[in-house]
Amino acid sequence: MAAATRQVYWNIEGEHWLYLLFVIALIFFSYGVFKRVQLWKLGKPENRWKDVGQGIKDVVVYGLFHKRILKDPYPGIMHFMIFWGFVFLAFATAIITLQADVGLQIFHGWLYLFIKLTANIFGFAALIGILMAAYRRYIVRPDRLDNIADDAITLILLFVILVTGFLIEGVRMAALSYTTTPDQWASYGFIGQWISIPLRSWMNEAQLLSLHRFLWWFHLVLAMTFIGYFSNSKLFHVLLGMANQFMRNRGPIGIPELIDFEDESIETFGKSQLREFSWKALFNTDTCLRCGRCQDNCPAYLSGKHLNPKRIIQDMKVLMQETGAALEAKKEMATSVHAAEGHDEAEADEMEEPTGRALIGEVIPEEDLWACTTCRSCEQQCPVFIEHVDKTIDMRRNLVLMETRFPSEAQLAFKNMENNGNPWGIGWSTRADYLTNLGVKTFEENPGAEYLYWPGCSGAFDARNQKVSAALVKLFNSAGVSFAILGNEEKCCGDSARKLGNEYLFFSLATENIETMNGHGVKKIITQCPHCYNLLKNEYPQFGGNFEVIHHTVFLLDLIKSGKLKLSHGAGKTITYHDSCYLGRYNQIYEQPRELLKTVGLDIKEMAHTGEKSFCCGAGGGRMWLEEHEGQRINEMRTDEAIALKTDYVGTACPFCLTMIADGIGARGVGEQLKALDIAEILEQAL
Amino acid sequence: MAKGILIIVEQRNLEIRKVSLELLSQGRKIADETGEPLVAVIVGNGIEGLAQTVTASGADKVILIEDAKLADYTTGAYTSVLNKLIRKEEPQAVLMGNTAIGKDLAPRLAQRLGVGLASDCTGMETDASSFLVFKRPIYAGKAFEYLTSNVRPILATIRPNTFKVTDPDAARKSEIVKEAADIDAGDLRAILKEVAIAASSRPDLTEANIIVSGGRGMGGPENYVILEALADVVGAAVGASRAAVDSGWKEHKFQVGQTGKTVAPTLYIACGISGAIQHLAGMGSSKFIVAINKDPEANIFNVADYGIVGDLFEVVPVLTEEFKKLVK
Repeated sequence: MAAATRQVYWNIEGEHWLYLLFVIALIFFSYGVFKRVQLWKLGKPENRWKDVGQGIKDVVVYGLFHKRILKDPYPGIMHFMIFWGFVFLAFATAIITLQADVGLQIFHGWLYLFIKLTANIFGFAALIGILMAAYRRYIVRPDRLDNIADDAITLILLFVILVTGFLIEGVRMAALSYTTTPDQWASYGFIGQWISIPLRSWMNEAQLLSLHRFLWWFHLVLAMTFIGYFSNSKLFHVLLGMANQFMRNRGPIGIPELIDFEDESIETFGKSQLREFSWKALFNTDTCLRCGRCQDNCPAYLSGKHLNPKRIIQDMKVLMQETGAALEAKKEMATSVHAAEGHDEAEADEMEEPTGRALIGEVIPEEDLWACTTCRSCEQQCPVFIEHVDKTIDMRRNLVLMETRFPSEAQLAFKNMENNGNPWGIGWSTRADYLTNLGVKTFEENPGAEYLYWPGCSGAFDARNQKVSAALVKLFNSAGVSFAILGNEEKCCGDSARKLGNEYLFFSLATENIETMNGHGVKKIITQCPHCYNLLKNEYPQFGGNFEVIHHTVFLLDLIKSGKLKLSHGAGKTITYHDSCYLGRYNQIYEQPRELLKTVGLDIKEMAHTGEKSFCCGAGGGRMWLEEHEGQRINEMRTDEAIALKTDYVGTACPFCLTMIADGIGARGVGEQLKALDIAEILEQAL
Repeated sequence: MAKGILIIVEQRNLEIRKVSLELLSQGRKIADETGEPLVAVIVGNGIEGLAQTVTASGADKVILIEDAKLADYTTGAYTSVLNKLIRKEEPQAVLMGNTAIGKDLAPRLAQRLGVGLASDCTGMETDASSFLVFKRPIYAGKAFEYLTSNVRPILATIRPNTFKVTDPDAARKSEIVKEAADIDAGDLRAILKEVAIAASSRPDLTEANIIVSGGRGMGGPENYVILEALADVVGAAVGASRAAVDSGWKEHKFQVGQTGKTVAPTLYIACGISGAIQHLAGMGSSKFIVAINKDPEANIFNVADYGIVGDLFEVVPVLTEEFKKLVK
């Protein structure tokens, strides 16, 4: 076994020419990288080199082992096979290179046999993966794939490389079988062995030897083409994707960039030009492989709106390439003018899109920006962690803060938040009324309260959600929780304002709330609404509001676990739980609400979209305050999923979701069969 | 020396709008108090017949600017002729309604005349030093500000329904003056070619005194006829909740609520509307709210002044019949 090896460059003459080919391939490769780096450099600086250890872990988990890619079984397995096939083949090639070209004597013994075996197994898997890919892309043709030449070239290139590889092995084995030294280890290269059998019966030794030489050179040229093509095509996603996984945002997601309104040197707010984005944002667009998982999970796209997260990223990529080319042309012109007339270097006008195409309006339609519910399912499904939503919010900010161009309905919500601290414009001085009538004390009356209970605008003003507030108050009292409210001092948290791009309004609401809470010495907050929860917990720290924030579902579960809250255990009723985006994808609270439902004896059935793939109710990102003119209504689509399960209830943990799903139930006229309830209301029944 | 109170009378199809009569009534009182003459200006075509109405409502002098080109309101021509007239008359104050036309015209006149403007006023009082002081709500009605001006004329637009219309006095006499309509070609940048009036003969939602509104309880677009019958008896506009609009039963222009129209009629009749906060945000400030709903738990009853728990398909026709008797 120790003697096992094979002669590299067997039957080949003039193999040193491959070094020339390799140098040419490297030149193409380097040029491709250089071109891309030039384009990324159009963006603004941003530090993404933060946690190396975690970054490497992410590359292993999401890159090497495909954690997200495999969530879609067919394309996941297909990709896994191609990827690992080429990993093993690259390993084999590397060892052979070290042996033949560097001179390390390692290509023998168990390593030789290991390579022979794995290259056969995984190379074959890759071949199947490629056939699966071609079948899916050109015969099944799922909506989420769009086909360009690069896709076909890449598939054909990989396919031919693999096939010629196996053929070379087969031809070599067949040819050797005519000699006195046949390949003793042929069974390790079982595919080559299978191929060699018919070949030997068809051809004589001389024919096989010349066929081998031809195939060897053909395969070599293709392999070099692969290297040269790598950085100039979609193949480069292997490295870009891993780089993006390495640089991914690991903090709480979706925190919009801080705008310092005190900084008088800032001339524009938000982003309306490609070059205002960070290099990482541009890098994202280059990383995108058009796999379409985002599109397949976007509630706006699925409900028939024009918005398509994949297209936004791809359109930005095209604009980046055009911008790069236009700037290059401009620079060349400036140099020639400089040479001819002796002028100072022509000043590049920083404030203009060099392509003459406006990012907002011409590249990305404004309606697309407003159609997003910020549910972040696109980002959650993206295998390479592209950040779509932050870009949308940056552009909305520009439209609101600089252009005053936004859907007219938003105007009223903004005005109401400004004047009365709630989106409906109900008198601010009546905010406390409902809860104080239930006997809840304000912080002013009960400054020693342990928790601040934050009902939010819905819990304070909306009759439907007031019932949830009442349920929560009952549950808190039953568990002996020490809590108080801010009462009329509470204002809208500002989530809708911020996500709609009205950062200034958000800023004034947030800073006022933080001041009020700090003034009362608030430490711990229980929120009723996931939007308030996310904002208070993850975004208020940007403005000096550092509180321990707990969503009511998590808090109630703690109360039950610690024995403070005792509930009866019913039976026989079924429920489906609708994950709120801002609890689930934004804060990874998937399990606690379900556990609560189980503790009161409900049988949970899951909807078609659930957990990380939950389908938005349609109200996020300020869409609660906008009309939905295009396509189907998102809330009705979601409600249909719940109706299909024939459960008694659909449980929510968010006032927006509750409103939207209750609306959906009303629209479908199934109010008799299906009730939408907040989890707090369900628990209240079990008191 | 400036003298007189000049009121720009708004007419549409040779009918004087109510807000103009309100201004004439209040203007008369101020004229009597201050001894200033009350001057009314009517612009249009074939408007001579209106002079009598205006006189009866209190004008001391009526100025008619007539021209075929002025038959319908156009921004350029009206601004031009009124600017010239005000410069000639030199009044102390110029008042007009805060209507679509008033809102279009007043800022242009203010600019041409180089004076300030008190817009959307809800009160007006005489003042010894500055002649007139105007009251207007600010911060969404949370506070009032009082405005006057020390340049003449004082220019103001007054919100409709601010003043009462006094009974006309048919015996009043006034000086009627015809002014030539001096319109330059440049003033006529836009020409009104045609007015397409929406098929509805009912009042506009935002202007209506009474609104009959239907929600999801209507069950379908065909059932709106029973609301329309009621609306026609009482001269009301027909509205709809978001649920009804989303279901495609009514066009979006009929939607009352957060993302539709904000209305504040004297009487709002909500039929089959649950009273979601989105809807209340658009009609909560109506003077009287009547709710008809099968569900006694419906939130609309929390804001209604009168509530009828019952099937709207039974209740509404009864109401229609009863109103018919009353209206007769």
